[in-house]
Amino acid sequence: MAHLSYEEAKKAVIRGLIILGAITIIEVIIALLAKGHMIEGFHMNKLLYGFLMAVFSIIKALFILGEFMHLKYESKALRVGLALPFILILWAIIAFVHDGNSYLQRRLDSGNVIPVEMPPVPVLPAHETPAEHGEHVKK
Amino acid sequence: MADHSTVAEAHHEVDYGPAWKGADKPLKAGYGKLMMWYFLLTDAFTFSGFLISYATLRASSLTWPDSDFVFSTFPGGLHHMPLIFVTLMTFVLIVSSVTMVRAVQEGKRENKNGAAFWLGMTIIGGLTFLGCQAWEWTNLIKNEGMTLFTNPFGKHTTDGVYINEDGSEGEHFAAGANYIVHRHHGQWAPKKYKVLSGPEKGQVKYQAFGPREFGALFFVITGFHGFHVFSGVVILFIIMLNVISGVYVKRRNGYEMVEKVGLYWHFVDLVWVFVFLVFYLL
Amino acid sequence: MEKSTLFVDDEKLLKDKGYDDHFHEHHHDEDPYQSNFITKYIFSMDHKMIAKQFLLTGMFWAIIGAAMSVIFRLQLGFPAESLTWLKPLLGKWIVVNSQGVGHLSTEFYYAMVTMHGTIIVFFVLTAGLSGTFSNLLIPLQIGARDMASPLLNMMSYWFFFLASVVMFISLFVSTGPFSGGWVAYPPLSALPQAMSGSGTGMTLWLISLTLFVVSVLLGGLNYVTTVLNLRTKGMSMWRLPLTIWSFFITAIIGLLSFPVLVAGFLLLMADRSLGTSFYLSEIFINGHALDNVGGSPVLYQHLFWFLGHPEVYIIILPAMGIVSEVMSTHARKPIFGYKAMVISIASIAFLSFLVWAHHMFVSGMNPFIANFFTIFTLIIAVPSAVKVFNWISTLYKGNLTLNTPMLFAIGFVSMFISGGLTGLYLGNSAIDIQMHDTYFVVAHFHIVMGVAAFFGMFAGVYHWFPKMFGRFMNETLGKIHFWGTMLTAYLIFWPMHYMGLAGVPRRYYKFDVFDTFSQFSELNKFITVMAIIAFFVQLVFVTNFFHSMFFGKKVRSKNPWKSTTLEWTTPILPGHGNWPGKLPTVQRWAYDYGKDGFDFIPQIQPKLDGETSAVH
Ligand code: HEM
Ligand SMILES: [Cu+2]
Repeated sequence: MAHLSYEEAKKAVIRGLIILGAITIIEVIIALLAKGHMIEGFHMNKLLYGFLMAVFSIIKALFILGEFMHLKYESKALRVGLALPFILILWAIIAFVHDGNSYLQRRLDSGNVIPVEMPPVPVLPAHETPAEHGEHVKK
Repeated sequence: MADHSTVAEAHHEVDYGPAWKGADKPLKAGYGKLMMWYFLLTDAFTFSGFLISYATLRASSLTWPDSDFVFSTFPGGLHHMPLIFVTLMTFVLIVSSVTMVRAVQEGKRENKNGAAFWLGMTIIGGLTFLGCQAWEWTNLIKNEGMTLFTNPFGKHTTDGVYINEDGSEGEHFAAGANYIVHRHHGQWAPKKYKVLSGPEKGQVKYQAFGPREFGALFFVITGFHGFHVFSGVVILFIIMLNVISGVYVKRRNGYEMVEKVGLYWHFVDLVWVFVFLVFYLL
Repeated sequence: MEKSTLFVDDEKLLKDKGYDDHFHEHHHDEDPYQSNFITKYIFSMDHKMIAKQFLLTGMFWAIIGAAMSVIFRLQLGFPAESLTWLKPLLGKWIVVNSQGVGHLSTEFYYAMVTMHGTIIVFFVLTAGLSGTFSNLLIPLQIGARDMASPLLNMMSYWFFFLASVVMFISLFVSTGPFSGGWVAYPPLSALPQAMSGSGTGMTLWLISLTLFVVSVLLGGLNYVTTVLNLRTKGMSMWRLPLTIWSFFITAIIGLLSFPVLVAGFLLLMADRSLGTSFYLSEIFINGHALDNVGGSPVLYQHLFWFLGHPEVYIIILPAMGIVSEVMSTHARKPIFGYKAMVISIASIAFLSFLVWAHHMFVSGMNPFIANFFTIFTLIIAVPSAVKVFNWISTLYKGNLTLNTPMLFAIGFVSMFISGGLTGLYLGNSAIDIQMHDTYFVVAHFHIVMGVAAFFGMFAGVYHWFPKMFGRFMNETLGKIHFWGTMLTAYLIFWPMHYMGLAGVPRRYYKFDVFDTFSQFSELNKFITVMAIIAFFVQLVFVTNFFHSMFFGKKVRSKNPWKSTTLEWTTPILPGHGNWPGKLPTVQRWAYDYGKDGFDFIPQIQPKLDGETSAVH
């Protein structure tokens, strides 16, 4: 942080710690809320939830890039050059996931049973309840 | 033909390309730093490839376990603590990023001891993170039985009711409920249940395994990230030794080497933001 | 109009206008780069030597790759003839039946096809082409002493060398090299038991290509940073020769696409060695169901082609750059539409990342999203057409010198047009359902990528041979090489379009069980004969190359082609640091040919008295 004095820079570091920590806590709280751990029976709309989480993560990422990795203070050309390629990733995400989805749809439509893996079902003697009598069970 | 040398003299200054004086730093960064940045860009694409593969396989699976159900254990035998441990891990990594920033700052001031100290703190942070990850993996593999090939975390696709050993009906569950197939003394012990909705209504079934890519992707991708953390720790250690030995004092470039490994270290943290997002939040 | 030749005293210009970076003060007593045989010729950090290493390794692989194609073409063209005479070379891969008639074993046929593709695409047309010319030309044409990091540059070559060694070893393992196609689709690549080459052969293939990716990334990082940071005074981006633009953008494509392949490969390795099922689901081998479920083979195809399509542009863009430069020099005309050329290179590069799934229209991919891939694919035709138009306009009314490099440059344009047009057919998802995996595709990509990129490479070798070795290549042999290659290439690949339209599938070992395809058996013979001739014509080139290296006509002047770019201001055989004294400074763009009555005005020449427009 070439532009700040040493003392300011040290403070900025603590501020960074607090910001990143706070966003993480907010993320986790929203996650728990959305998944019904906070309020009985409350579930957040999945799309909204995903969107919120993505936004928070991107904010965190930009903060790390900008402050910790000093990108904020680098030349604009470098920043733009590093950012542009992620347009490609955006299209990749859309295409890959859309096609992944369609792969599932086709499996469902084809009428084939989607293979489900079954654990080997234990054949236990009728009188034995497995939990308590471990020492009798042999491999 | 003209006597071009005199004419050229007059045009000497304007002849250079726009603002380009050669062997300059158009991006205001030396080639070493540029290379590090572009290397990180390529690495980001590798991770993107992985995370997009995760999303694709998840999209093509019928069910996918919920992260708050899977990652809900805490060291010391605590259960039902969804996402708490991984939040802690995230903090560890953030703190280590902060100590890294301090190391770079001290390096800029040519403060040898300060740089070495904060590098040491960063290494401790990295090792702590790796330790947490080791615990998390061990817990998943040993206690819960998730491996590269087996995933005990399943999700019901129908409503149903569990059937106890004695044949009586137990707990009810709704479609979308998570479960873990338990083991007893090394043997899988899936519970029996009666289906209460859908075309198979009335049938009695056993709990099935969840999609196995869930576990495989988890281990491969967090493993790949952990490998980055590990190599970061090794590099940090080497750089710390160099700092202590005074190599960078002579270079008088504000410990640029510390800055460059710093970039790598922050990148590891940056990737974790997205690993955290994809595996634990979404 | 008669053009006068400008007298350029480049020694004086370098001295007066040069820019002193104090390079030689630091290196004056002993040159650590070239102090002994090993540092000079083997572990060299000098970009010119590394370029030669890439070129020679590429040529070695080109000969092997081409020989492989001759072997499998023999099987395809003459299925009834005995190949027993190849037994001394191929041993057990020639299977002799009870009548004493020997055939290529089916496994080995597939292995040959696979290795041919892998070798030509990655080792010859990626490493051999952009490795050679990026290394040779980037520092020379931007006025730099060397690459940004000579050490990484050296490592880039040696990783390529290691990759080569591993791939070479895989040719000799007892189960044979990998044989599931150069694209290595699972399950053939993911299950070691799938076919004989899927075992050790595939393991070595993966190791080799992973090493190769490291090489590409090390090289690419270097090329990009060198072009950005090490340009000499006055060499703004818009004054770069098109060669440098194309190498620069090629390197960027490589840096962005190969890492995704790495992710795909790591998942593949896990499937092979750790027993995961990322790409596997519902597979039967020998009637026996595997317990791998849940994965998606289409995912691999996506990951592969996310690299794979940009890769074909990694191959063709350097050739385009070389052709632009060679063409402008030998047509004595400025390249037409310099900025349009740069912009179209950049937009091709960008678009190349959006179109990958046009290779997967028939994979079971979603037909809705295929529409978008069709549209993006067809849009690439626009910048491609711009480039073709510009080349033709550059030739138009040019003062053409039809020497070998120029012939190859023109041949390149011809090939690129022929092959690009069939790309438009294939890019339409509806038409591709019929065409996919037929000889039509084989014809398309061999013409547009294989032959065209080779032409670019040949143009480059003939043109810069004087810079590399201080001698010229033989013109007569060069012309024989050109006409022989041009003719045979068209005669080999043109007929394949018709076979493809009739539905003949690619990668088949023989067609005699299909009545419909028997009409092509004569054509197949013809193609094979042409392929053999083409192979021998390439030997003319190899002979010419090595003979001229030692006995060719010596270069007497610094600038034999009367070219404008900086590499011709170095001594005939530049030493380490390229310029003995100061670095040249750049006063103008790279294409002042035939301007204001002057035949050419080099880049180091300041504005002349009475010159019309201001310098670019
Ligand atoms: C206008 C330009 C182009 C279009 C629209 C186009 C379109 C296509 C399409 C749709 C395919 C898939 C065909 C199939 O498998 O069914 C294909 C295959 C291929 N193209 Fe092109 N292409 C173009 C230019 C190029 C160029 C410039 C290159 C290389 C320099 C190239 C190299 C290839 C290769 C190597 C394959 C076959 C890969 C394989 O399956 O083994 N194409 N092209
Ligand atoms: Cu393509």
